[in-house]
Amino acid sequence: MTLWSRIRSWSRAILYRARTEREMDAELRFHIDAFAEDLIRRGVPREEAQRRARMEFGGIESAKEACRDIRGTSFLESLFQDFRFALRMLRKSPVFTAAAVLTLALGIGANTAIFSVVYAVLLRPLPFDQPDQLVLLFEAKLQDGIKKTGASYVDFAEWQEQNHVFSAIAGAQRHDLTLTGYDDPSVLDTVPVTSEIFSLLQAKPLAGRTFVAEDGKPGAAPVVILSETLWRSRFGANPIILGNSITLDQRPFTVVGIMPASFHVPVFTENQDIWIPLVQDPLFGGWMTRRGGHWLTVVGRLTPGVSMAKAQAEMDAISDRLARKFPAENAGWTARLAPLQQELVGNVRSPLFVLFGAVGLVLLIACANIANLLLTRAHSRAREMALRLALGAARNRILRQLLTESAVLGLLGATAGIILAYWGAQSLNSLLPPDLPGTQAIRVDGWVLGFALLLSVAASLAFGLAPALLGANSDLQTNLKEGAAPSGEGRRPRRARGFLAGLEVALALVLVVTAGLFVRSFMAMTSVNPGFRAEHVLKAEISLPQFQYSTPQQWTAFSDALIEQIQSQPGLEQSAIAVPLPVADSCVNLGFSIAGHAALSPGTLSSADYVSASPAYFRVMGIPLLRGRTFSAEDSLSAPRVAIINEALARFYFPQEEALGQRLVFGFPPDSNVSREIVGVVGDVRDVALSQEPGPMMYVPFAQAPFWGGEVVVKSSLAPSSVIAAIRQVVQRIDKNLPVTGVAAMPGVLDSSVAQPRFRAGLLGLFGILALVLAATGIFGVISYSVSCRTHEFGIRVALGASSHGIRKMVLLEGLRLAAAGLGAGTIAALALAQFLRSQIYGVGAYDPVTFAGAALLLVIVALAACYLPARRATRVDPIVTLRYE
Amino acid sequence: MDKQLDLLQGTLDMLILKAVSLGPLHGYGVLLRIQQISGNCLEIQQGSLYPALYRLEHQGWLTSEWGESENKRKAKFYRLTAAGRRRLQSETEKWNRMTDVIAAILHSKPEEV
Repeated sequence: MTLWSRIRSWSRAILYRARTEREMDAELRFHIDAFAEDLIRRGVPREEAQRRARMEFGGIESAKEACRDIRGTSFLESLFQDFRFALRMLRKSPVFTAAAVLTLALGIGANTAIFSVVYAVLLRPLPFDQPDQLVLLFEAKLQDGIKKTGASYVDFAEWQEQNHVFSAIAGAQRHDLTLTGYDDPSVLDTVPVTSEIFSLLQAKPLAGRTFVAEDGKPGAAPVVILSETLWRSRFGANPIILGNSITLDQRPFTVVGIMPASFHVPVFTENQDIWIPLVQDPLFGGWMTRRGGHWLTVVGRLTPGVSMAKAQAEMDAISDRLARKFPAENAGWTARLAPLQQELVGNVRSPLFVLFGAVGLVLLIACANIANLLLTRAHSRAREMALRLALGAARNRILRQLLTESAVLGLLGATAGIILAYWGAQSLNSLLPPDLPGTQAIRVDGWVLGFALLLSVAASLAFGLAPALLGANSDLQTNLKEGAAPSGEGRRPRRARGFLAGLEVALALVLVVTAGLFVRSFMAMTSVNPGFRAEHVLKAEISLPQFQYSTPQQWTAFSDALIEQIQSQPGLEQSAIAVPLPVADSCVNLGFSIAGHAALSPGTLSSADYVSASPAYFRVMGIPLLRGRTFSAEDSLSAPRVAIINEALARFYFPQEEALGQRLVFGFPPDSNVSREIVGVVGDVRDVALSQEPGPMMYVPFAQAPFWGGEVVVKSSLAPSSVIAAIRQVVQRIDKNLPVTGVAAMPGVLDSSVAQPRFRAGLLGLFGILALVLAATGIFGVISYSVSCRTHEFGIRVALGASSHGIRKMVLLEGLRLAAAGLGAGTIAALALAQFLRSQIYGVGAYDPVTFAGAALLLVIVALAACYLPARRATRVDPIVTLRYE
Repeated sequence: MDKQLDLLQGTLDMLILKAVSLGPLHGYGVLLRIQQISGNCLEIQQGSLYPALYRLEHQGWLTSEWGESENKRKAKFYRLTAAGRRRLQSETEKWNRMTDVIAAILHSKPEEV
């Protein structure tokens, strides 16, 4: 047989369905007419001839059907038929359809919405050309416990010169610069970069140019590239700005280019206003010659064909050479690399997978629920199926029709689900913690839609297969004999329904336990004592332009004036300046040594978090003084250096002796080490995060370790707005070009520091509730159906004297048996899964008995509640009414 | 008419191809020609004729076109294709081999075995 003839016959059948149908009619009619005419010619009367011709031909319709089958149209046509039939059946039982579609829509919608986040954050390739070539390079000194830190610029320059595995490497950092001269002074998110970054990321400017090598040389004219967003919002999208200069930190920079809004240097926050050459940065520019400081974020692009392993080997060799050449600074330091994408999403991957898994469980429960509904329906349609089988329908034809019905349900559910997901993705977008990478691009796009459709097909198969198989294999004889009344159900369907309800309970338990663990973890995080009192404390950040304020004397003069003037306002007496603040800012961890103590063995680095604070800081923040004294106005630049340590440092490093009076040697920047006398010990503070145990900390007087700005903290019972207004007023009075940024209430800072755990706990809690509702309806469906099947039995029992109490107990026990089996299986599954959650929860064990017992109890209550109505119905059975029907 | 033979399974296709090989025919004509050649000894289920014709056309051994019948009515005429002619030849050879073998078996005598 030729392929061509087949295709022709098929395409003709599909394209000209009506025509081939007409032609087939005409051909058969011609046959019968010709036959009849022959008979007439032989003397048979006309009417008799017609009748005989038709009779001898046999079944015309079955012949046509056989012809259609051969043409190969039957599949499409019957699919269409099945589809229409399925729609009709669904319309006939609107309550079932609504319940199933709603359940599915919730399941598919939630999954699709979460998938849109998973896709945007984890799966979508980075918005750069050939993103798999991009790597992040960092430095490590494992013997000191430093696993990952930035590179020193000097090392970066050596890498750049010596490596043969990268087509380019570039460095960047992040800094705030103050823009003045346009409206109010404002702080710009600035990314100081080396000039290679743009070509490395293959980013083209919207207008003007990107940086060239000359821009990065010391002594070059300061240049700046603006983001499209800033250019539009701040400079009215005026192209005149190109070639003109703007004032950043009181210094003119020439605008040479504008980057499209989509561009950002990876690793840093995606809101970037401007880019300047690293050498022009007032802070980092000065650090470029220091071999000891490790602060530069380095991105590299692998030469095509070079593997990660080969690149790592080359970097190892370079590190070895550097360590031999500069043993003092480079011994022990190695360069390491990691794929950029992996580095960007590293700490959100597992939490997202937990959410994705949880929402998948919700869909599974929804599928089990619908499968149960379908099984119930299959039983009431058993007679229909038996009749069709008896009339000669093929079993696989019936199977196909039942699966088509499931698929139609699935598609309806997916349609409603996609609408839900669209709306869900939008609200997720606003709910998502802002520190999640890639979230700008969360939306329902082609990939997400494809996922939803795939999901609906998988779901249709999942909930449609068992009922369809049971339906198509329905026992002809018994079903025809029994009649339509659902008097008894076969063993297999009943078992299947019981299994599905048990499965729902098990899955719901897993979800509720997971949700419980995360909710308890969140509660533990928020109820922890941070070591300071955040109530009524406001903070505001002031950053001094370093070209104008270039000496420590200027910084001290500014901070002294600032605090003095703020404190002189009524109600603002409790004010201080410090840097960095706990939780609000990232910590500065410095190594230190104890004067007079033997050097610690290598591998045990003594380090502590460093804070520079003015005298009132401890009182304002409510950090208790345990021994000694706090700082005073006498601890000035000219007075002997002093320090205050926290209890953790005292306990760990001075376990046997009194810490007061001992001397620590440290300083910031790290190479300005000075010996300082410990004058006080204060309480521990959780400065990294609420969920992190407090570590050793050391405080120095702001006057002895000034900074180019800092965080003003004010504890006041005045309204926050008037406190902020007062701070702004004082700052403006000292320097009208200084912006006040980072204004926040400390309780709010603590609150947003747990945004991710809160988001996770909230979402998981929602899924848990959804699972509970679905499991409850599942149990309700099984029990109430079983009750309606046993109406007759209950009638007899009541007639024989069973009490309504006894019957209620029977029904409740049936429900409890289902729930118990599900709880058993669910507990095992939850125990097995909980260990994977251990790293993601805080303050609560993965096998937390309270959570497990609470979840199980909750499900038992839900199961009993779901059985209550059916049980009541069972007790109301009137024996006379039921028995009369016999 | 009571002496009619039932058609052997699978032979209808071959007979149709043979009938059509003698000249284009419409469905009823195929029926008449087979009956005529066989001397009315073969009983052909008229209902199974058309599925067979459709199958042969679908497989590319027959082709069809609408034309005019002897009594001036529109009818669909089937004609053998080149592939159909080869098919008929190979089927005929197969059939002849088969009948030879079966005849030899049926004619065998005890002493030959």
